[in-house]
Amino acid sequence: MDNPDPTRKVTPKTKKESLSKEERQKQLEFQKEAVVHLNSLYNYALHLTMNPSDAEDLVQETYLKAYRFFNSFERGTNCKAWLFKILKNNYINRFRKNSKEPGKVDYDLIKDFYHSIKDVQNDTSEAESDYFHSLLHEEVHQALHSLPEEFREVIQLCDIDGFTYEEIANMVESPIGTVRSRLYRGRKLLREQLEGYAKKYGFNTDKDQ
Amino acid sequence: MSAAVDCELTVKEEEGFLLHLSECKECKDEFEDAKKTKMIIKEKIVQFKAPQSLFNSIMELTSASSVER
Repeated sequence: MDNPDPTRKVTPKTKKESLSKEERQKQLEFQKEAVVHLNSLYNYALHLTMNPSDAEDLVQETYLKAYRFFNSFERGTNCKAWLFKILKNNYINRFRKNSKEPGKVDYDLIKDFYHSIKDVQNDTSEAESDYFHSLLHEEVHQALHSLPEEFREVIQLCDIDGFTYEEIANMVESPIGTVRSRLYRGRKLLREQLEGYAKKYGFNTDKDQ
Repeated sequence: MSAAVDCELTVKEEEGFLLHLSECKECKDEFEDAKKTKMIIKEKIVQFKAPQSLFNSIMELTSASSVER
């Protein structure tokens, strides 16, 4: 049977097609906005869980949730921050409850991890001739992870992931002033640790001499 | 100090801060150290690449709902 109506409105068939077109649009947008942050999220998850397979689970869960609620993501705001927040909540709900005591870090695992994966960053950074460049990735990692969690977290979010204080404050659910002071104190502690390593290598870190 | 390192000061705060640095060696040194610490973290913490399998499964997850068969 033919349908000669020239002004034909949406038939069920085309309606369905346009629906899935919308869905496809959503997918594309999601990939452009959200999936591009996969590496950052994965690293964040690794830092939180200290375990590659937990990290994968966590990231997967996060993306699933994010996709489901993608409509509620405020366009124009920082999608990475939004994803981190979801991941953090997931982590708290799912992992922290039944996990080992907080702050307990499996250094051997991390060490293995560092050895098993080739350094993705090339050491092309300007050759600054100071002791900091003698520090190994692993040592910096250990120093960072030796900090109390609330310090480590803000340093990570700020220095590694490049979030603003406002975004961090929102993620850790604390006032900006708290974020500031944690950053300050955390960095100070970290510096002490790193200088300890540097001394070990025979670098003199004492400026006044 | 942290806010200065992270460029989170307001223009006015920054003016005051720089003015202070110009006359206080102690703070100036501390500022330099703090900047360096930030740089170290940025450079020395290795960022891992997410496994390809994870990427694949996320692509799959996010398209599963639209597969109509």
